[in-house]
Amino acid sequence: MEKPAGAKRLRIFFAGVGGQGTLTASRLLAQTALDAGVEAVGGEVHGMAQRGGVVESALLLGGWRSPRLDLGEADVLLGFEPLETLRALVYLRPGGAVFSSSDALAPLAVALGKASYPELGKIQSEVRKVASQCHFFPCRELGQKAGAVQSGNTVLLGALCASGLLAFGPDALKAAIGKYLPPKIQESNLRAVDLGVQALASAQ
Amino acid sequence: METLLAPGGQALLLGNEAIVRGALEAGVHFISCYPGTPSSEVADTFARLKEECAEDAPAYDLEYSVNEKVALELACGASLAGAQSLCTMKHVGLNVAADPLFTSAYIGLPGGLVLLSADDPGCHSSQNEQDNRAYARFAQTPLFEPASAEEARLMTRAAFTLSRQLEQPVILRSTTRVSHLRGAVKLEPLPEKPVELAEFKREPGRFVPVPQVALKRHRVLAAQMGKARTAAEESPFNRISWPKEGGNPLGIIASGPARNYLADALHELGLEEQIAVFELGQTWPLPEKKLEAFLRDCKGVLVLEEGAALLENDLRSLANRLAASEEKGSESLAAIAGKDTGLTEFGEYSTSLVRQRLERWLANSAPDLAAKISSTQFGADRAAKGAACAESAPKEQLAARPPNLCAGCAHRAVYFAAREIFGDEAHYSSDIGCYTLGLLPPLRTADFLVCMGSSITAGSGFARASGKMVVAFIGDSTFFHSGMSGLANAVFNRHNLLLVILDNGTTAMTGHQPNPGMLQESLGSDATHLDIEAIVRALGVRHCEKVKALNLKKVQNTLKNLAQEQGVRVLIAEEPCVLYARRSLGRRRQRVASFHRQNDEARSCLAKLACPAFRMRGDALEVDHSLCGGCLVCMQVAPNAIKAKNR
Repeated sequence: MEKPAGAKRLRIFFAGVGGQGTLTASRLLAQTALDAGVEAVGGEVHGMAQRGGVVESALLLGGWRSPRLDLGEADVLLGFEPLETLRALVYLRPGGAVFSSSDALAPLAVALGKASYPELGKIQSEVRKVASQCHFFPCRELGQKAGAVQSGNTVLLGALCASGLLAFGPDALKAAIGKYLPPKIQESNLRAVDLGVQALASAQ
Repeated sequence: METLLAPGGQALLLGNEAIVRGALEAGVHFISCYPGTPSSEVADTFARLKEECAEDAPAYDLEYSVNEKVALELACGASLAGAQSLCTMKHVGLNVAADPLFTSAYIGLPGGLVLLSADDPGCHSSQNEQDNRAYARFAQTPLFEPASAEEARLMTRAAFTLSRQLEQPVILRSTTRVSHLRGAVKLEPLPEKPVELAEFKREPGRFVPVPQVALKRHRVLAAQMGKARTAAEESPFNRISWPKEGGNPLGIIASGPARNYLADALHELGLEEQIAVFELGQTWPLPEKKLEAFLRDCKGVLVLEEGAALLENDLRSLANRLAASEEKGSESLAAIAGKDTGLTEFGEYSTSLVRQRLERWLANSAPDLAAKISSTQFGADRAAKGAACAESAPKEQLAARPPNLCAGCAHRAVYFAAREIFGDEAHYSSDIGCYTLGLLPPLRTADFLVCMGSSITAGSGFARASGKMVVAFIGDSTFFHSGMSGLANAVFNRHNLLLVILDNGTTAMTGHQPNPGMLQESLGSDATHLDIEAIVRALGVRHCEKVKALNLKKVQNTLKNLAQEQGVRVLIAEEPCVLYARRSLGRRRQRVASFHRQNDEARSCLAKLACPAFRMRGDALEVDHSLCGGCLVCMQVAPNAIKAKNR
């Protein structure tokens, strides 16, 4: 396979909770990259690990061969839930970028009184200690605004594509949405990309 | 157009999907499997293509067998009949299927047979991390180990070609990372017309391995493996890249998925052009001539393989043989390093791990190269990186999200009932499936587990040796897999066991594959439903009761009654898997649970059931109705606190 010249190597870590669409989001971005001529390899874990638990995946762009990320290796962390963003922070290299949802999904242990959920402000300050840039967006609300709560994930993808960190922009993501997502959810996802782009612009 | 059936181009595929594409390009005729993570998507993809693209999909037979031994024997039969056969399973499944594997290698299989063993280093969803490369050595089968999606496609094709050529079974070994990676795959044309079946010629002197035949065939097998070794010498999957400068470089021999970590680590260290790399993808039999030349051309060699030190030991033994056969002794051979550099046999490798061990090895064997590393960008970053990693680790324990039985899962009801009645008086013998999650608090209904089907047999042995009460749990698919023979044994040998069959009507853990217990309406016209109760009774069980698993009172009363009896007793607790009912049967329970009182009963129900649909809003308990499965077990546990309402 041809190696596209100039595509910078980049490692992205995705973290979320089972049922949130973490794997779908990482697949969509992988497909976007490939269509943009960027070498891509993704890593997923299926099976027992995902039942009601933490879901993690990785996407490595620009010529990496391994589909796995180890601690401190990710250039970008995409967190679909703030506690999972914090949990996955060890995967981020110092100076990396974080894009995260600010909407909490409390684990059962919190309801059982066996653990507490950290304050969002505390999570953000922990993230800032390691990341050179971090962005927390109300993805559930933005997803709803786009037309479907589930498209909240695409808000983060849109913001990442607009950040200039990737070798492609939001238009490539939109093209992939039109090509690979089922027609009935395309519109909300396309709007979600725009909302992500806007959210990043107004944060900067 | 379905990507997997496209005539050409490029596609982003899961490793397991790439295996499917490779098999289709090879013209596979027959596929059998027993599902198991991380192998399941292979057969599931064949099933989906058959169902969704019947018109476009090439003709092939596919079956979900009741266990791996059965699946492999079927594939052997199909291959004897001349069909190119594929049999898929997870690594531990090959233990079950080892019997046909060994003897099929003796008799040979004219149509060709590729056996996918999907290993699970790191135990993502398995009870051990056994390294099935050992089976290729033990049973004498050629072995392919892809590391990328494209290699998964190419090696599947090559495995079929070699298998058909040698008439020997061939193992294709993936790991979790390979089966579940996603990467670009080139699509080559599918066969225009079906590949012809090889002809079966009656030859009892070959195909019926009575002792005299078997002895003869053992020698034939050795000869066939000699040919496989020649093929490995010439294989494009066993390739060497030499440094530009030439000379007498350091070399690394890397096998299977470890090749990925090596390539990335060398890139990070800036050593891509400095070290000779021998990538092994067609990994058994070893290309000994090529390896010998590599050992002679390098001044030192590091062996890199995830898992057991199989390749390393083989290379050391090869080097010993070579040294013994020449006058100069071992002087002209590279020194071999491997696991002694701290490369572990435990868990998965990573780029970081490989990089660190490489540095350790280089510091000893090539200080000049090691010095170069510390002056690179990467070397300068490293200290800061390590410190920041430690810094970013959350200081306090974060609220965990352990896997849990789904909201609405009927297993929770049965486990709750058993724990309420028997508490710690009984010992709980568990089995393999979603229901193994019963081990977690608060249900705590799994005290021991060995392998598929062992709930009944290990439970029988435990009860006999200890004289204590044992309650065993087994799922429907596992019952058909290897529970039935254990139950026959329990009746035959008069064991004392209370067995609960958790019948959720599907193979839930691995993604709802069919099994004989599945309802006829779901099985369609290709398979026949078998009635579990009739089987249990036919196996001679006198105390057998069947209940609806969500009727808590009934479950509890029946368990109590069965506990009064002696001998083998069976409770069949029926209720479709809540996800399967919703997704595949189109049945969604119409009511949901709601707290209407915040009392002790409510809090106790939360503590005893730990249903993932429960949550706190401020100080109040509530049920997340988007998660609630509508089983209403909580309402039966806490009737004064929880009421049902319409969704």
